[in-house]
Amino acid sequence: MIAHDMQTRIDSYLMNLRRCIGELPPEEVNDILREIRGHILERAEAGGELTNEKLVAILKALGKPEDIGPLYQAEAMVARARSSFSPTLILRTVVRWAMVSVVGFIAFIVGITGYSAGLAFLGCAILKPIFPDRMGAWTDAGGFSIGFRDAPSTDVLGWWLIPVCLLASAIFLVVTTRFLRWMLKFAVRRRTTSIPAVA
Amino acid sequence: MPDENWRSQLRKGWLELAILATLWDGRRYGLDIIRRLADGSDLVLTEGTIYPVLNRLKEDGVVRAEWEESDSGHPRKYYSLTAAGRRRAVAMARESAQFIQQMNSLLEPLLDEEE
Repeated sequence: MIAHDMQTRIDSYLMNLRRCIGELPPEEVNDILREIRGHILERAEAGGELTNEKLVAILKALGKPEDIGPLYQAEAMVARARSSFSPTLILRTVVRWAMVSVVGFIAFIVGITGYSAGLAFLGCAILKPIFPDRMGAWTDAGGFSIGFRDAPSTDVLGWWLIPVCLLASAIFLVVTTRFLRWMLKFAVRRRTTSIPAVA
Repeated sequence: MPDENWRSQLRKGWLELAILATLWDGRRYGLDIIRRLADGSDLVLTEGTIYPVLNRLKEDGVVRAEWEESDSGHPRKYYSLTAAGRRRAVAMARESAQFIQQMNSLLEPLLDEEE
């Protein structure tokens, strides 16, 4: 049986850890806290009576919540993003990576460019049926362009603009996603060697 | 003397493979892995750091985890290698062994000097 004040100390450590873990799904956070509580209790029960000094030593050996908590997010977020096809999750992860690494920043720029191009093509495909005369793929003295035109020009694709833009959009979105997922492999490698020393 | 940061990075570089190696013969729970790693090595200075690594290895599909009630009264989360994890552990072990061999031949003259 653990004394009330020591139970409070354990709860306070776990609450701190929960705060430091940050944005992970609640069930994952509960799983983490359950595991760490088990670790503390098992250490506490080993080798006789639990004293305050012993509990302090156990928590010290475990590490400060502010050092351990962020590691979960860094490790788990990259892992989830790598197995995800959600552009939001992938981009959020890349943004965090971009803040600490030049390679991450390059990945972020490529990602933003790729997704913007994908969305722009999607926008053109959606707008074509709404503005059939003004949205098109134009050729004139200025060269070739896709978008809105007021002045009369030659629309080279007509209704073919929709499948062409949808295909281009899909290619940009898929290729960008695959590229960022591939790049995130390097984030994991970097992270395993760049986690701040918590010893 | 080497600086503490270098030592810490060196340990972290080996930690993932060391964890996979402890699981080679069968499943273990977190504290059991820590005890195995602490047995004859100082790979884990801060015990809590192995749990985020285990969590990531699980997300990567390298290990699987399952909760089980224990005699001690609280449930334990047991980790075991998946088929992909076993392949990864073997590949990492081979690469590491080769690396150690190369480093040993480089370090031999320095170690002789120490003696």
